[in-house]
Amino acid sequence: MKVTGSCHCGKISFEAEIDPEQVRICHCTDCQTLSGSAFRVNAASLPGTFVLKSGTPKTYIKTTADSGTHRSHGFCADCGTPLWATSPEPNPPPYGLRVGTLDRRAELKPSRQGWYRSALAWSQDLSDVSRIERQ
Amino acid sequence: MCHCSDCQTLSGSAFRTNVPVASGTFALLNGEPKTYVKTGDSGNQVTHAFCGDCGSPIYSRTSTEPPEYSLRVGTLDQRAELMPARQIWCSSALPWAMDLTGLAQNPRQ
Repeated sequence: MKVTGSCHCGKISFEAEIDPEQVRICHCTDCQTLSGSAFRVNAASLPGTFVLKSGTPKTYIKTTADSGTHRSHGFCADCGTPLWATSPEPNPPPYGLRVGTLDRRAELKPSRQGWYRSALAWSQDLSDVSRIERQ
Repeated sequence: MCHCSDCQTLSGSAFRTNVPVASGTFALLNGEPKTYVKTGDSGNQVTHAFCGDCGSPIYSRTSTEPPEYSLRVGTLDQRAELMPARQIWCSSALPWAMDLTGLAQNPRQ
């Protein structure tokens, strides 16, 4: 499935092919902090399909993964939108795209949740939280 | 919690989780965030602060006097103690975001 995405201010845009069956939620504490929210939702690009169409993201090398692996996190230095995570290897590397930045995000549904051991308890079921259509 | 499309993009995720700050109690202890000013449909301007080094979103601040701060719950040390009281902009919520109970749960990766 081809996806396109961009940051909020529009300086950075990209496209890639993804497997829509492999969208994942991550509840790790790094994802909570780096999104400022309860969890992140990611979709891995298929090898060699990621194309940066405009802009130059800033990168943050995260060293706190449990595995010890260093991950390069791309974000927009102007608006702060988190864009993807990638690694130096393999070549070409997959990009873990932030689903919130994808134009087709309403068509994607996660298939599983990772790092569930640090999930915020309420994140699983919001049916009891009052809903307002707008503000 | 906010399900608006701006919050989806600016968090890279399904929604944002925010908590308002009691007036006059916000104190920046260290560091200087970068800021991004977003103009809402109402014309109101809101400043979004994030870390310029790692991208972590920190707070939003209104342009009112005095300004009102809202914190990103994911950055709070006490976040496990906080429960959302309401969800807004549900009109743009991702279809699955309010019920994850059917999704496989891996304790780690």
